[in-house]
Amino acid sequence: MSRLDSFLRRLTAQRTLIEAAAAHVAPLDGPIVELGIGNGRTFDHLAALFPDRKVFAFDEYFHSAVGVLPPAECMVAGDIRDTLPFALPRLGARAALVHNDLGAGDPSQHAAIASWLAPAIEAVARPDAVVITSFLLPFTRSVTLPLPDGVKPGRYHLMQLVPQEGAAQI
Amino acid sequence: MDGTGRRQSRLDVFIARMSAQKAFLEDVATKIADIDGPVLELGLGNGRTFDHLREILPDREIFVFDRSVTAHPASIPDGDHMVIGEIRDTLAFCGPRVKRAAALVHCDLGTGDPTADLAKAHWLAPLITERTAPGGYVATGIALDLPDFDAHPRSADAELGRYWLYQKRR
Repeated sequence: MSRLDSFLRRLTAQRTLIEAAAAHVAPLDGPIVELGIGNGRTFDHLAALFPDRKVFAFDEYFHSAVGVLPPAECMVAGDIRDTLPFALPRLGARAALVHNDLGAGDPSQHAAIASWLAPAIEAVARPDAVVITSFLLPFTRSVTLPLPDGVKPGRYHLMQLVPQEGAAQI
Repeated sequence: MDGTGRRQSRLDVFIARMSAQKAFLEDVATKIADIDGPVLELGLGNGRTFDHLREILPDREIFVFDRSVTAHPASIPDGDHMVIGEIRDTLAFCGPRVKRAAALVHCDLGTGDPTADLAKAHWLAPLITERTAPGGYVATGIALDLPDFDAHPRSADAELGRYWLYQKRR
């Protein structure tokens, strides 16, 4: 299998997973948060899936392709470690879905990011928010949701926060 | 819009583009058996397509052109086959190095900006024409005006992902 094959599989799995997450999020009000916009493809997919919600993108800086930049109010520039914990006034409501594809694949780097990212997400997301993440995040209370068919375990995870009381309602 | 009633996202378009690219290259790989000459890959980028080309055409010489090498370490051509410099300059003068006309030219130099792509197509088309063997193919992510070539039919993925396939008349 060439690197092109592997790339195509990863993109397709990512799309399948985002759409599965979108089904979980349908009954949950709140904006969508994309952490790390990169070239904007995933951001645009989230915007297409949630035409009636605000989709916020957080990144150090924005260099997406022409035509995919979020509206200015939804584009949060700066170090995500600093901005995310203070983003609630900007979001206007707690986020229903968070997509995290930060990091470059190094497990030590992922562990370091996870340690500050999990509490930062908890600070701005609904207590029952859905989180798509390329590495597991140490939330205070969460469950891992099953992956849809076609998504191999390990590369992406689908998590859902669990409220402190009434976990059974999830 | 697709079957689900939502608009096509940039992720959808990109997956279609990579799928069309893979399908065109694999189709062409079976058709150039009787055409002598190397493969020219214009734009190395991450090196995924180069990796795919060398997998599906293991006995074919592949020359890669780019202004700099920014590929994944697993997919960098050897020094004899990596032509570094502005393609607009190097393609015109690569004859002594590449020697024979190419059986396949693959070009993924599109920027996504329609005006920049028109400008690029204008200098690229005559250079590609000069370097392609009779009966040889050109797979490209920019539409090219190639009077000596026939355009091949395009799949739905190629339409959505903006990929074209041309064959030079013998």
